Amino acid sequence: MPTTPIMTVTDLHKTYGKAGSKQYEALKGIDFDVQPGEFVGIMGASGSGKTTLLNMLATLDQPTSGEVTIHQQPITHLKGNQLADFRANEIGFIFQDFNLLETMTAYENIALPLMLQNVASKKIKPAVEQVATQLGINEFLSNYPNELSGGQKQRVAAARALINEPAILFGDEPTGALDSKSARELLDMFTKINQEQAVSILLVTHDPFSASYCQRILFIKDGRIGQELHRDQLSRTDFYQQILDTLGTFEQ
Amino acid sequence: MFKLALSGFKHRWRDYLVLFSGLVMSSAIFYMFEALATNQTFLKQNSMISMISFVFQFGSVLLTIITLVYIGYANSFLLSMRKRDYGLFMLVGARKGKIGQLIWVETLFVGILATIVGIAFGAILTIGVSHLLVQALGLTLKQFSAWYTPAALVTLVLYVGLFLIAGLFNLVALTKTPALKLLHSNDQPNRPRLHPVRQSIEVIIGLASISIGYWSMAHLIDLKMAGIGIALVTIVLGTYLLFNAVFVWLVVLLKRFKWAQRGLNSFTLSQLSFRIRNYTKILSIVAMLFALALGAITTGLGFHQQVPMMAAGGSAYDLSLVNPTAAQKRTVASLNPTRQATYHYKTTSKVVYYNAAEFDQQPFYTANTSGTTHLSFKYAKNNAKQMKKSFYSYQLGDLQTRLNVRKAAVYLPAAAYQKLKQPEAQLLVFATKNFQKHFATFKQLTKAQNKRGANLQIAATGGRYYAYQEFNGMYSGLEFMGFFLGIAFLAMLASCLMFKILSGAAADRQRYRMLDKMGTTQRQLKQALRKEIAVLFVLPGIVGIIHVLFGLQMFKVIMITSPYTGIWLPFTIFAILYLGYYWLTISIYQRIVLQ
Repeated sequence: MPTTPIMTVTDLHKTYGKAGSKQYEALKGIDFDVQPGEFVGIMGASGSGKTTLLNMLATLDQPTSGEVTIHQQPITHLKGNQLADFRANEIGFIFQDFNLLETMTAYENIALPLMLQNVASKKIKPAVEQVATQLGINEFLSNYPNELSGGQKQRVAAARALINEPAILFGDEPTGALDSKSARELLDMFTKINQEQAVSILLVTHDPFSASYCQRILFIKDGRIGQELHRDQLSRTDFYQQILDTLGTFEQ
Repeated sequence: MFKLALSGFKHRWRDYLVLFSGLVMSSAIFYMFEALATNQTFLKQNSMISMISFVFQFGSVLLTIITLVYIGYANSFLLSMRKRDYGLFMLVGARKGKIGQLIWVETLFVGILATIVGIAFGAILTIGVSHLLVQALGLTLKQFSAWYTPAALVTLVLYVGLFLIAGLFNLVALTKTPALKLLHSNDQPNRPRLHPVRQSIEVIIGLASISIGYWSMAHLIDLKMAGIGIALVTIVLGTYLLFNAVFVWLVVLLKRFKWAQRGLNSFTLSQLSFRIRNYTKILSIVAMLFALALGAITTGLGFHQQVPMMAAGGSAYDLSLVNPTAAQKRTVASLNPTRQATYHYKTTSKVVYYNAAEFDQQPFYTANTSGTTHLSFKYAKNNAKQMKKSFYSYQLGDLQTRLNVRKAAVYLPAAAYQKLKQPEAQLLVFATKNFQKHFATFKQLTKAQNKRGANLQIAATGGRYYAYQEFNGMYSGLEFMGFFLGIAFLAMLASCLMFKILSGAAADRQRYRMLDKMGTTQRQLKQALRKEIAVLFVLPGIVGIIHVLFGLQMFKVIMITSPYTGIWLPFTIFAILYLGYYWLTISIYQRIVLQ
C-alpha cells in the first residue's frame, strides 16, 4: 500500500572545501524515503558519510545540492526562526554524548522544548510525567545529569526528544557511550515507542547489534548508498547474522 | 616535559589571553591606586585633612582583599585549564615531582609576567587619566607623577607574594589528586540547597555587620582609624553573607513561579544556580567596587561643585578694575554684566576715602553668609550708612588694588570728599550671570590691568574670579583623587566582571549550541544571555548604591557642603558608564557564545 513518506531525500550532495581549493565530496547523491512508523538504520564505516548525512537530515548542516522534505516540507533552505521552529516541532534528536544541559535537572531538561514553545505550565507537568513513565525515568526527574548513569542519561535525552511528539526521531550512535545492558534497554525502548506510537525512527550507527533492531538498513560507502537490507519476518538474531554477513562482504 | 607544557599553552592561547589580560588589568589598577596612596608628599600637599590618608589606607586594604579574591579566582581558572593536561602527563608516566615543578613555574611565570606588564600598563593609564582629568576639570596638580617607584614596588611585592602562595596551592591541589580524577574534572553542578536556619543566621549576621559598618562610617570623627577598620571588615563580610544567603534563596524561589516555566527562563535560572558560589563571590566584590567607584566619583564631583559655590559666597562681584581704559570698559560691557558700579576714591597712606553719595546712588552688594560655612548666603544692598556698619564691607576692600587692600574705608559726604586734595581714582566692579563662563576674558582683563603699573594691580583676594582660583588650587588634589580612584575602581569592576564572564564562556558555548540544536530561536538565546548578565549587573549595583549613600557620611568631615548635594549628577554619569559597560559585555559575550 503506497503511503506518503514522512521523509524523502532526493539526490543529496555535500562537498567540503571551497571551489578552486582542494575539495572533498562526502555525499555523492543519496536518495531514499522513510515511511511513517518505519524504523530505519543507516550503517557505514567511519568516514563513509553517515554523520554528514544525518546532520543534513536534522537541519544541522546544509547540503550542496539536493533536497530533503519532512512532512512534505522542504527543509534544506530553512533559516532563522523557521529553522528553529522546525527543529522544535518536527524532529527529535538523540546524540551519542547525550547533549543534556548539566545545569538543569532531568525534569527541566525534558520540559525545556515545551517551555521554549511557551506551553502553559499546567500542561508541561503532565506531559513530562507521561513521557517519563513511558521511558521508566520517573524516579530520576529531580536529579542532575551528572548524578545519572549513561543509560539513564540517554533515556532522559530520548524523553526530551519525544516530548514534542516529533514527526521523526533521529539517533546519532545513541548506544555509542552505553554498556551492553543499557544499550539493549534503550533499543528495546525504541522498538516499543516505534510499535506502540508509530514514531518514525532513523538511527545512524556502525554497530551491527543496534542495527539489528531496525526494519530496514541502508549501507553507506564512500558517500553513496551501496546496499539495502530488509528485515521482513526475520527474527532479530537472524537479521543480526545477515547484517554481519553483509558487512563482511560490503566492506571488502 | 617543558615542551609538552608549552604545547598545552599554545593550544589554549585564547584562555590564556583572557587570564593574562585579566591579571594585567588587575595589577595595572592596583598600581594606579598605589601611585596615589603611597605618594605621601602628594597626599600631604593636597589635603589639609589628615583623614585623607586614613581613607587611602582603607582603600588600600580593601583593594588588597579584592586582589586576593581576584587572584584566587584567576588561579582556579588556570588550574581548571591545566588539570586535564597534567592528568594526561601523569598517565604517560611523568613523575609527580616534575609535574609539581612545572605547575609552580607556570603559575609564577604567568603571574610575574602579568604583573610587570600590568605595572607598565598602569603607569601609562595613570598618565592618560591624570592628563585627561587635569584638562577636563581645570585642576592644578603638584607633586604628582605617573611613575612612582614605591607604588611599583608595593604592587610587585604583593602580586609576586600572592602568586607564590597560589603556586604552592596548585602544587598541593594537583599532586594530591589522582590522575583519573584530573582527567574528568569537569564542573560539577552545585545543587542549590535551602538551609532555612543557616541562611536566616547569615542574613541576620550580614545585616548586623553592615549596620555596624554604616554606623562606624558615620561616626568616623570619634572612632578615627578604628572606625575605618571596623567598617572595612563588617561591610565586606556583611555583603558576602547577604549575597550568599539571599541569592540561593532567590533562585530557588523564582524557579517556583510560573514565569520560570516560560521560554529559556528556567535555563537562565539554572545557569545562575549552577555557578552560584562563584557568583556570590563576584557579586560581593562587584558591589564593593561599585560602591568605591561611585563614592569616589561622587566625592570628587562634590569637591568640584563646591569650588564655584564657595567662590560665589565670598563676593557679589566677579572682578574689579581700577581706572579702566576705554577698551577695558568695552570688554566689560560686552560681557553683559548683571551688576556693575563705578566708585571714585582718594587715598592716603592709611585710608581710602569714598564719596558716600555714590553708594547711595549705586549701592554696593555684599555676600552675607550665615552659618559656619560660606555656602548659604544672601546678596545684600548697602548704601554708605550700611557700609559703615556692615561686617561684610571688607568685601569692598578686597576688590581694591594691592596698595589699598588693607586700608580703612571712610565714606565722606560729597562736600568733604571734594575738598580732599589727593588724586582721584575709579574702581569698577561688576558681576555677570555666570562667572565661570568668562574665565578667559577675566584672565585677559587682569593681565592687561597688571601690566599698567604696580599701583593699579588688583589684589588677588576679592571677586569670584580670584576666589575661584584660590579654592580650586586648594581642592584640586582632592577632586583629582576622587575622580582618579573612581575611574580606577570602575576599571577594576569592569575587569572583574569581564573575567568572570569570559572564563565561563567556553562551557556556556556548548550549552548554547545544544539549545540551538533543540530549536531555540536566536532571539530567545540572546534574551536568555542578556537576562543572565543583567542579573550580574543589577544586584551588585543596588547594593553598591546603598553602600555609597551610607558611605558618604565619612566625607561629612572633609566636605564643607553636604556630601549629598547634587548627588544625582555623579549617579547619572555613573549609571551611563555602567550601562555602556553592560552593553559592551553582552556584545563580547554574544560573539563568543553564539558564533
